[in-house]
Amino acid sequence: MPPILEARDLTKRYQLGGEVVEALRGVSLTVDEGEFVAIMGPSGSGKSTLLQLLGGLDRPTSGEVVLEGETVSKLSDEQATRLRRDRTGFVFQSFNLIPLLDVTENVALPFTIAGQDPRNSDLAARVRDAIEVVDLSGKQHHRPDQLSAGEQQRVAIARALVTRPALLFADEPTGNLDYTTGSEILDALWRSCTERRQTIVLVTHDSKAAAYADRVCFVRDGRVLEEIPLGRRADHSATPLISRLAQLGL
Amino acid sequence: MRSLSSFAWRSLRARRVRSLLTVIGIGLGVGILFAAQATNASIDRSVDRTVKQLVGRADLRVSAFQETGLSDTTLAAIRGTPGVAIAAPQIERRAYLQPPLGTPPKPPVTVLAIDPGVDPQIHDIAGAAALTAAGADALVSQRLAADDGLEVGSQLVIQAAGEPVTLIVRGMVPDNGPVLGGFGRTVVVGLDIARRAFGQIGLTRIDLAVSPGANPGAVAQELERRISGEHYVLSTPADLGVSLRASTADFQATTALISAIALFVGAFLIFNTLSMTVAERFREVGLLRAAGTSRRQIHQIVLTQALILGLLGSAVGLAIGAGLALVMAGYVRSIATIPIDVPATPPEGILLSLLVGVLVTVAAALEPAWRAGRISPVEALRARPEAGSAVRARLRWLVLVFAVVAAAGLLLWPNRAGDPGPLRALAVYGVLLLVTVLSPFLLRPLGRIAGLPFALVLRAEERLARGAITRDPSRTALTVGALTIGLAMIVAVGGVAQNARHAATAWLGDVIPGDEILTSITPVPLDDQSPVTSDLLVPGVMRLTPIATFGVAYQGIRLDAAAVVGGDMLADGRLRFVEGDRTSALNGLDSGGTVLLPRSLADRLALGPGSMMRFSAIGAKSADLRVSGIVERGLPGASGESLIVGWSDATSLFGVAGADFFAARFAPGEAGQAGRIVLESRARELALEPASLERVEGAVSDALGQVFGLFDALAVIAVIVAGLGIVNTLTMNVFERVREIGVLRAIGMTRRQVWRMVVVEAGVLGIVGAILGCLTGLVAGVLMLGLVAAGGLAIPLELPWLTMALAAVFGVAVAMLAAFEPARLASRISIVRAVQFE
Ligand SMILES: Nc1ncnc2c1ncn2[C@@H]1O[C@H](COP(=O)(O)OP(=O)(O)OP(=O)(O)O)[C@@H](O)[C@H]1O
Ligand SMILES: [Mg+2]
Repeated sequence: MPPILEARDLTKRYQLGGEVVEALRGVSLTVDEGEFVAIMGPSGSGKSTLLQLLGGLDRPTSGEVVLEGETVSKLSDEQATRLRRDRTGFVFQSFNLIPLLDVTENVALPFTIAGQDPRNSDLAARVRDAIEVVDLSGKQHHRPDQLSAGEQQRVAIARALVTRPALLFADEPTGNLDYTTGSEILDALWRSCTERRQTIVLVTHDSKAAAYADRVCFVRDGRVLEEIPLGRRADHSATPLISRLAQLGL
Repeated sequence: MRSLSSFAWRSLRARRVRSLLTVIGIGLGVGILFAAQATNASIDRSVDRTVKQLVGRADLRVSAFQETGLSDTTLAAIRGTPGVAIAAPQIERRAYLQPPLGTPPKPPVTVLAIDPGVDPQIHDIAGAAALTAAGADALVSQRLAADDGLEVGSQLVIQAAGEPVTLIVRGMVPDNGPVLGGFGRTVVVGLDIARRAFGQIGLTRIDLAVSPGANPGAVAQELERRISGEHYVLSTPADLGVSLRASTADFQATTALISAIALFVGAFLIFNTLSMTVAERFREVGLLRAAGTSRRQIHQIVLTQALILGLLGSAVGLAIGAGLALVMAGYVRSIATIPIDVPATPPEGILLSLLVGVLVTVAAALEPAWRAGRISPVEALRARPEAGSAVRARLRWLVLVFAVVAAAGLLLWPNRAGDPGPLRALAVYGVLLLVTVLSPFLLRPLGRIAGLPFALVLRAEERLARGAITRDPSRTALTVGALTIGLAMIVAVGGVAQNARHAATAWLGDVIPGDEILTSITPVPLDDQSPVTSDLLVPGVMRLTPIATFGVAYQGIRLDAAAVVGGDMLADGRLRFVEGDRTSALNGLDSGGTVLLPRSLADRLALGPGSMMRFSAIGAKSADLRVSGIVERGLPGASGESLIVGWSDATSLFGVAGADFFAARFAPGEAGQAGRIVLESRARELALEPASLERVEGAVSDALGQVFGLFDALAVIAVIVAGLGIVNTLTMNVFERVREIGVLRAIGMTRRQVWRMVVVEAGVLGIVGAILGCLTGLVAGVLMLGLVAAGGLAIPLELPWLTMALAAVFGVAVAMLAAFEPARLASRISIVRAVQFE
């Protein structure tokens, strides 16, 4: 079976005044369906940039991204937007929710944007289902300012899941959270992966978070330095990852 | 301190477009203010000049009450009164000039006859010395000379009741000449010439100067004792000024009100701009505070910004205002009865406008400055400002600005003692403030209604847009408030205009018993053999009825009166009776001894059917007439509605010499059409000016339309200022939502959807503003109707549907147009940058 996502030799250069910043210098990567991949690396290594290219939020300077057989990096803005709406989900570090909409409305947003009526029974069921996966069934009508930071982030995950996307991208979703709250988020991602075969690409600089993944790509200075297969483990222990990284001198 | 003010300047420069819009907004507000003030000043100056020209050095004026004029006996009595130094008699009459052979007749002229020996001692009429009492010489006004192509040495022939008199033009008097009205077509001649042209007639007035040291008041008392045998009116130059001013008072009051409102709307703009700057620079201000900048210094930064905006805006405003003043003066010139000067720009007017502009700006800046000062360094570095808590503070601010603008308005108000204008204007103003203060609370429910039409087609955009509007209710409310106020003014002005116009035209149809009016410049005697009536009763004319308008004295005041044929009114079905029996009252008029009162007059004098009224009659006698009925409306008189008497009383008691106009009713169908043509040509032969009732109504309606058109234009400017405010607010909303919009784009919102979202946001604002504006405008309109009705016109209420619809469409269109640039900004937001966490 072909990989669901394939990146070939991606480079990204930013023009900063007169200076050129090379955020990515030739990254290739594949993700299989149902896989949970973590992209790990120090600050400024290019993780977010890579994720943005993979998810079609931005275009690479060179190289290409193929998602479900479609070359994302060649799409027009309009087409890329459609693709994001229908085939991918995003979770960012913060400011994920629309403050004036309640939980249900926020989760249903992708449908609303697509011009569908989220009150339609089929879609409403999917919204309820997504809220259930992230364990927020009791708080459907709360507004974001009435939720804790962890709960807000779970709403964002539910919104990313509600369209049953081919891929879910998450950029440091636990970056703003304490350890326990962070675990809730990671548990929710893990559940969606194991229970619903959701493919996930997670960006993090935290090895404890990366340890939830089946495989970790270690990025530094705009290159994939190492791919570390961890396999699917229910205990999420970070020990194997940490010892492997230590072996590599990272 | 230098560095701090440069900080203020830099932060304005960083938001060039917004600062520019704000400056333009203030400029428009100050511009209207300045223009209104300059125009009003030039009206005042023109009135003073006209009074001076008309009255000259006279201390008192004795005017004839009746058409027949004052007798030479009275002139002699005045000259013999101790304390009277000079008495200059004048006659003023309308007449036609004989047109050159083969040319159509021109409009009538006003003939002013003076006593060349005495008159120059009181009035300054250029060239009057060249006249002699009996010489065939004349002076003409420049206006008449230009109209008719006359020059010094030209010949003209006056045609009136007496013999035709041929005169030679000996000189020109400036502009319209020393008379009021009459389109400035003036001929000045000697008294004897007038008596030849018009037959033996009395004097129109006698202007007199008291001897040095004599007290005009005492002289007036002595005159009242001595003049007997005929009725007269004694007045002072000040009285004339007051009555001339009264005719422009409504205009001045309304422009003052509208300019205050435009300024108020401009203040909203300042307030919003500075609030945005403060919110944007929240963190920066926090850092400044952390680095040891004092609260007072922060205040200074914000106030300096306000000062810069205010000064620039006011300067722009002066330029705009100077142009606008020219336009306004043009309008006034077309409606005023006196020649209006080109508006000059008095230095104190310039200073005052600058001062008011800056004052309002600074008042508007106080609250944002205070808010900036309260930003704590700790809080600024941690979070964003909490919007909702500012609502009360902002409302307090609004009341403050209201007070400042109101005070400025009262300061600039055309000052006339004891008129209800300022109070009513304050009431209008207060209603607008009230709506603005209430609008944060109305925003959510109204927004829901306003969103409905958009929700039908653009569900997601509508939902998100509506959310954005309630994000900072007080800011949105202020933005909508400005729009509401502008639209309310349009609706109010439109409503007043429509009602006034309707009332005026309905009034004529109600009381004039004919389709055509034939006006004569001199009274047409109504003896049985009168050629006029028999000549005009051509086939196709069903009825021809004479009407005269004149003044009567009742308990020492002048009332307008009209003489009619009761039987004709009855047959034609005119006059609506409120009280009294129609048939007997109208027939009673013709036999004499009774009078009909219009309702407004009956109310004012507290009279009803059966009351007796004692009038002054000719020959220094008095006459008692019984009120036999009250009618809805009387005939139009010189200064309002007139009471109605029969012809027999009019001639025998009040000395009415003849009909001022005839009303002709045509037979239905073709016979009537043919009759009209014959009638009109016969009328012209008899020196009567025919005009269809529709044309008269149209003229009234046009005159009103012109005045209100100007007010509308001013209100439209206020809406445009509000539109600038919308640009600022939407830009701010977009700016605050960069991340949110980034997320929306990331999860699949297209650029076009983002664009539409912002435009829908503006559309919802526009609709809310339109709803509130229409409702407020109706209330303000009712209050303003009171303002106009003070002029003696009772006006029935009628909803200005068309104006409301136009105002609503205009408001929504302005709002949505204002959204284009912010929407473009929003749709260009880069997702990558938006979602980058700082
Ligand atoms: N819009 C941009 N313009 C210029 N340079 C950029 C831009 N975005 C990222 N960079 C640069 O590219 C490099 C990679 O940035 P990126 O955000 O991908 O790193 P990261 O691994 O996500 O870091 P962090 O863990 O801090 O989020 C950095 O040096 C950054 O400064
Ligand atoms: Mg990053």
